[in-house]
Amino acid sequence: MGFIHFLELILVVAILLIVGIPLFGKLKLLKLVEKVDPGSDQYNHLLVRKEETLISIKELEFDFNTDKISEPDYKELRHKLEKEAEKILEHLDRLEQERRKNKSYKSA
Amino acid sequence: MNDIGEFTLLVALATALYGCVAYVMSARGNRIDLYLSADKTPFIVWACVTISSICLLRAFLTDDFSLQYVWAYSNRELDTFYKVSSFWGGQKGSLLFWALLLSSYMVVVYFQNRSKNLRVVPYAMAIILAILVFFLFLINFSTNPFERIPLPPEDGRGLNPLLQNYWMVIHPPTLYLGYVGFTVPFAFAVAALISKNLDDGWIRMTRKWTLISWFFLCMGNLFGASWAYVELGWGGYWAWDPVENAAFMPLLIATAYLHSVMIQEKKDMMKVWNMSLVLLTFAMTIFGTFITRSGLIQSVHTFDEATLGYYFLAFLFVVIVACTVLIISRLPLLKSENELDSFLSRESSFLFNNLVLLGIAFATFWGTIFPIISEAVRGVKITVGPPFYNQVNVPIGLALLALIGIGPVIAWRRATFSNLKKNFLKPVLVAIVLAVVLLPVIPLGSRTEIYTYITFVLCGFVLTSILTEFYKGTVSRMGLHEESVFGALATVTWRNKRRYGGYTVHIGVVLIFAGIAGSQAYGTHTEKHLQLGESFEIRGYTIRYEKLVAVEATNIKTRIIAQLAVERDGKHYWTGHPEKEFYKGQNQPVSEVDVLSTWKEDLYMILADFREDESATIKVYVNPMVSWMWTGGWIIAFGSMISMWPDRLEQRRRLERVRRQEQLFPAPAQE
Repeated sequence: MGFIHFLELILVVAILLIVGIPLFGKLKLLKLVEKVDPGSDQYNHLLVRKEETLISIKELEFDFNTDKISEPDYKELRHKLEKEAEKILEHLDRLEQERRKNKSYKSA
Repeated sequence: MNDIGEFTLLVALATALYGCVAYVMSARGNRIDLYLSADKTPFIVWACVTISSICLLRAFLTDDFSLQYVWAYSNRELDTFYKVSSFWGGQKGSLLFWALLLSSYMVVVYFQNRSKNLRVVPYAMAIILAILVFFLFLINFSTNPFERIPLPPEDGRGLNPLLQNYWMVIHPPTLYLGYVGFTVPFAFAVAALISKNLDDGWIRMTRKWTLISWFFLCMGNLFGASWAYVELGWGGYWAWDPVENAAFMPLLIATAYLHSVMIQEKKDMMKVWNMSLVLLTFAMTIFGTFITRSGLIQSVHTFDEATLGYYFLAFLFVVIVACTVLIISRLPLLKSENELDSFLSRESSFLFNNLVLLGIAFATFWGTIFPIISEAVRGVKITVGPPFYNQVNVPIGLALLALIGIGPVIAWRRATFSNLKKNFLKPVLVAIVLAVVLLPVIPLGSRTEIYTYITFVLCGFVLTSILTEFYKGTVSRMGLHEESVFGALATVTWRNKRRYGGYTVHIGVVLIFAGIAGSQAYGTHTEKHLQLGESFEIRGYTIRYEKLVAVEATNIKTRIIAQLAVERDGKHYWTGHPEKEFYKGQNQPVSEVDVLSTWKEDLYMILADFREDESATIKVYVNPMVSWMWTGGWIIAFGSMISMWPDRLEQRRRLERVRRQEQLFPAPAQE
């Protein structure tokens, strides 16, 4: 066996070890992703929507300050966006409360 | 070393294949052991491909002509600079370079996302690895850069002289960085479809990747145009060549996506459209490699030994079918509950912009594949030339230019008509003044000249519209805070990087439009056969042929240089030195043009021919406004940098979101 082939053998063995070790432990008992609470995705989605709605309000203000939109339109759109934000916040609050209630129920 | 290079390529293929399967199995079976095992593979693949690349590079630098690829693309006399670029000068090396870039990107993706969404990331990694498997399969079994020559020759054949240009060292890696980069948004989009995580998480994860890839692709196109301009010696920079088109189409679709994705972020709508655009952009990058490597289409840019067409066609087919099926099967989850607030809004201007960009992409695609279709159907290859593209794309391009000016003036969600009229007043006034001023000055004899006139007027309109936005933002900031003009401008730009970075990019695009229009319509050229001392005139320049010099530059390169003195208004203005280079072993000499570039026009000289009596044929082009294009390119680069710069506010918002999520749902937070 030449030196190059020896190096190649070492490389293959090293890779097999690196890749194989996780397969031969107690890790098999663990799960990659715990069962996701259906509320979790919804909560994250609402957090994102809240941010985007607040950004939209800021942008609307900017558009109004730079004279791209009339006052009545600005007021109407702002009201609409604020309502949207309010709805999202309410939804978030509801989810948080439900979650906390569930947690305290479980711990009790 | 070559043995190691070849062996590591095989190991990379086997590891990528294992990683791909293990990632999918870990996600489907929810197994952490498989995931941890698969998670080692990106590094191993990257390390193997890097070792292999180093081996090939070493072979080039040490003139190891036992490798067929090194023999074909290098020789002993080649500059070290070009020996490095020979790595990607041919098909075999370019595919290895592609694999190197993709595996490097994959490692970055791994580091960025390892603790994030474990429902999506394993699939995304599996898709990147699957694409790598395809490329590594080709490299190992179809176009191996480590293929040996049984009896190594003394010297190599040398790199094509046309490729011995500094732009050719920069252009392909830049273009590849763009091409390969779109794999990341594609992988995350498909992963989101497979795992049914179809909120805009995948968009947030890949937003920067899309911008960076777009930036490189845009720069790659411009660098390619620069190379064509200074090296191909035909006086132009763009010829609607199939390979040029192949790089242009993904850029157009990615541009459409960059705009429409903002609507999804803001209004949580257009999910199917955005998903389709990302998938189409990736498909177009593969189509581009198919064009370059199929041998079906003739182009100066295709590889000599282009034989991989069917592999790429099959891969493209699989990608398109799989993605279409995935999108259709997920349609109910991609439905949007929101709709546009008003037809008169920035959102709808973005929709028009999308249609226009896709219109140009489709026309370009049709022109590119028409020769293949005509040959397949009628047995006759009908080449589609620049007139077709110009006739179709120029009017659509003008609509796009107008939209660039209209977009910034319109408010998001809903614009008020009376305000719109007021805001349009200045840009329209500038456009009218420009139209009146230019009318008697510039000729309007042909369709090209009329289009150019319209382009200039629209450029005035768009620039005013964008600069007014900068002005309004600055004034608004100054009204709220005590800041100087420059301070307010800098702050307002810095706080709204995406908005003002985008506007800056648009300024660059306007300059490119103006440059293209000016150079296409008002350029002139002449060709003269001159004896020493003779002169001729072209557009106010007097060009005198002074001498012809032969220089033995290296053992393999001889330069024949013509000296041309340029006078303007009776005064010496410049001395040009166009030349012809003769390379040992190459049949055709290469023209090295000399260009005097000013903001107004380029004086572009070619030594077309020479004789033993020292007479020479000189070709001179006067190309107006070409430098506007290159300036536009640098402005685009600057604007892209602003847009790509990490936003601390956004990072803070993300961290806050993760914190709240973790507080409530202790499982690993989803991005």
